[in-house]
Amino acid sequence: MLTLRELQSEFRHALLGGVDGEPSGALSAEMLADGLSPEARLGIYRHHVVTTLTATLKGTYPVVARLVGDGFFAYAADAFVRRHPPAGPCLFEYGGGFAEFLVSFPPCRDFVYLPDVARLEWAMNAALHAEDAHAIDLGSLGGISAEAIATVTLRLDPSVTLLSSPWPMERIWRANQPAADAEASAADAEATIDLRAGSVCLEVRRLGDDVIWRTLPSAEHAFRSALAAAETLERAAHWALAVDPSFDLVGAIHAVFAEGLVTGFQVSS
Amino acid sequence: MTESPLAARAGLGLRAPHLDEVAATRPAVGWWEVHAENFLGGGPARRQLDVIRRDYPISVHGVGLSLGSVDGPDARHLERVRRLIEWLEPALVSEHLSWSIAGGAYLNHLLPLPYTEESLALMSRNVEIVQAALGRRLLVENPASYLRFRHSPIAEPDFLAELARRTGCGLLCDVNNVYVSTQNFGLDARAYLDALPPAAVGEIHLAGHARNEAGGRTILIDDHGSRVGEPVWELYRRALSRFGRRPTLIEWDTEIPALAVLIDEAGRAERSAGLEGDAHAA
Repeated sequence: MLTLRELQSEFRHALLGGVDGEPSGALSAEMLADGLSPEARLGIYRHHVVTTLTATLKGTYPVVARLVGDGFFAYAADAFVRRHPPAGPCLFEYGGGFAEFLVSFPPCRDFVYLPDVARLEWAMNAALHAEDAHAIDLGSLGGISAEAIATVTLRLDPSVTLLSSPWPMERIWRANQPAADAEASAADAEATIDLRAGSVCLEVRRLGDDVIWRTLPSAEHAFRSALAAAETLERAAHWALAVDPSFDLVGAIHAVFAEGLVTGFQVSS
Repeated sequence: MTESPLAARAGLGLRAPHLDEVAATRPAVGWWEVHAENFLGGGPARRQLDVIRRDYPISVHGVGLSLGSVDGPDARHLERVRRLIEWLEPALVSEHLSWSIAGGAYLNHLLPLPYTEESLALMSRNVEIVQAALGRRLLVENPASYLRFRHSPIAEPDFLAELARRTGCGLLCDVNNVYVSTQNFGLDARAYLDALPPAAVGEIHLAGHARNEAGGRTILIDDHGSRVGEPVWELYRRALSRFGRRPTLIEWDTEIPALAVLIDEAGRAERSAGLEGDAHAA
């Protein structure tokens, strides 16, 4: 007889294991056959686990699903769920590794921009559910000496994600929206999207109840990415100036505060 | 058990497709039950709940504490639930007689336990941990089951009764789950209800189920995707006459219909409770 720990471990394996998810002999032996085989009974549980988690992923990645089609999405989601089950019970937090999974999922190897679409959709999902935080204004830095200001790190709003892609993400995303954007979609769909249209830098965040995203100039993007990585203002300025020597640092600092992106700061001695 | 302030009314599960409508129209619903795990982030869902909770009593129903896991409740998740409850001050807090987490993976299902002394000791310890962390009594719900273990010597209602006795927790009697499980295993649903200690029962759940054919047999699936079935209404009347009037929730989670359909089901539950529950009280 299995201990409870062994039984739960075997059960997990039977739900997430190989494609057939055959229960081990030890687990089958623990179950009453009762007119229906242990495999069939476990199959009822497995079906629920896989279909509900697939639905969760589809809710988070509607554009990926649209690009690959429902059948293929279900196939990819099934493989993802088995290899990367949720680490916790809040399903709005599930699926952050889907983009990385798609990178290494052989059937998607030639679908080069798909992982970046997934990254954008994950950033939008994360923005929607991020903790609420209060923005501070530039005046909050007023007490800091001129020498110390370079060592300040800013805490950005938890909803913010900065992304960049070699592909025209914003056009791909817009062209794959349902009815709401039908007109724009139709226009975009007709014009073939030129994948060489160039790289794009995006900022995703929540504003009020809405998730918004916009493209940023690359130096601005480098500056904000450095801030998001908890780099000091001085280091963030270096990142941005390396991209564009004419980067307007003072304007950029004003902008992050004016846009309500800063929710705290720290002076690192 | 002292009669809950919710007892005279039926409640509904508050689901994402109805959040805007409920916040805007304030329909005549006795109370709302929310799944804790859907409201542990920030953003619009939380803001809408903040509006709704001002006008309605709230019940918090957890699906992720995994009270039956050998590793015990996840400390980080328990702390998030504690903060939610501190904020919401719900009328009721409930969880399940089941497990969902093994080896750090959350399996998104209410999975079955063998009903043994080992499981009883584990469930009791975990319920005590959760009740101590939340500083309040938990209601523990009977699951819908599709398999049984060979070595499971304690009958489910006896297991629940003993869990309540050891920990002081209350019970959430899901009448649809009682129907589904007893049908699936050829057991007597009325005897199941009769074995539960009435004083411990603090809430009742009602939902629809599906009938699936598998291996030449009919298996009932607790899919919360339709109106409450007639046999379940009948069993509900039996539960009322045995337990007295209890806060009753209509659950509907797949193929979610218009709010009006849910309100209609809640009305039927209230009429049943008025007839049977009051007869019990008198």
